[in-house]
Amino acid sequence: MLNGLDIEGNSPLHRLPVRGKLILLFTAAILLLLISDLRVLVPALALAALLYLSTGIGLGEAFRRTRFVLFTVLLVALANYLFHSLHEALVVFCRLSALVLLAAAVTATTGISAFMDEITRLITPLERFGFVRAADVSLAVGLVIRFVPEIFARYGEIADAHRARGLRVRPFTVLVPLIILTLKDADTIAMAIDARGFRRH
Amino acid sequence: MTTRDIVLVALFAAIMVVLGLLPPITLGFIPVPITAQSLGPMLAGCILGARRGAAAMLLVLLLVAIGLPVLSGGRGGLAVFAGPSAGYIFGWVVGAFVCGLISERLVKQDQSELSQFLSFLLASVVGGIGIVYLFGMPWLAYMSGKAFFETAAASLVFLPGDLIKAFVAMLAARAVLAGYPLLPQRA
Repeated sequence: MLNGLDIEGNSPLHRLPVRGKLILLFTAAILLLLISDLRVLVPALALAALLYLSTGIGLGEAFRRTRFVLFTVLLVALANYLFHSLHEALVVFCRLSALVLLAAAVTATTGISAFMDEITRLITPLERFGFVRAADVSLAVGLVIRFVPEIFARYGEIADAHRARGLRVRPFTVLVPLIILTLKDADTIAMAIDARGFRRH
Repeated sequence: MTTRDIVLVALFAAIMVVLGLLPPITLGFIPVPITAQSLGPMLAGCILGARRGAAAMLLVLLLVAIGLPVLSGGRGGLAVFAGPSAGYIFGWVVGAFVCGLISERLVKQDQSELSQFLSFLLASVVGGIGIVYLFGMPWLAYMSGKAFFETAAASLVFLPGDLIKAFVAMLAARAVLAGYPLLPQRA
């Protein structure tokens, strides 16, 4: 049910290590926010689009994934056009769309487990301060992926129970039983995890 | 955090993902469709409390970042954090924390029903709306370039919908408190 957004392939972006991609994305974001010259921003947008398509994602899927964020970018650009100038609108549009496409390109070329490994490595130094334990974070991510289909099925059951009793399925009346039934499982799941000794202290 | 806390955080994050899979609801008198998912920060704070609520929201952000399409409408990936509305999503974490802080302080189990309702409403409005906007609007303004004032003002069209959500969160949080109280940290 929860499939990652990465696309299989062997493009240069795929072969780059995760940390390298994240550093490049961060640098690009800072540069894009500092530059407001259209002579740089337009080629940057073209380059970002090219890079995104070079991941082998296909035009339709590429658009489907970014349309919501691009729509908000368009709204912001429109506001700039209405209240300021066309030039200002173009600057904002090119800058933000380039950023969105670059970020989408990184996501499309990075597998979930590779990304998770990198995150684990990044938070391991924080363990010394006692904020968080890297193993706990991976455990939590695994639990979410494991339980989403189950909770979704439970939602369907609650909705069916409504219909069987002739009640309208309203979000609020479903929400409360869904939350209570789900969170009530926490004790059993926690016991099962502790019984297997996953979290050693 | 105990193992139970981690499981509660993960289960709540999973509930929030499921809420994003449901189709958005359109109310007659508001033009913007309401997604049940944006109830998440308010519910997380009111039901799980400050620390666990904020952790649940952080976990959702982590899932988004590593490329799972967990936000409503199947959105996910780093592109979400690059867009102009990313500030609202970061605001979820602090919003849930503040919402939980207020609920933990104000809501007592032996209170009258009315004061529990009012406390949850206050927590949802301050944490789930106030704090989330406090993060969302400056980010949006910064990303908007010169039209920062206009776009920030335009984003207020979401306020009526969010007030309705605070009301729903209040009802749900109080119902969960009656059915399976988790807010008292010792529970």
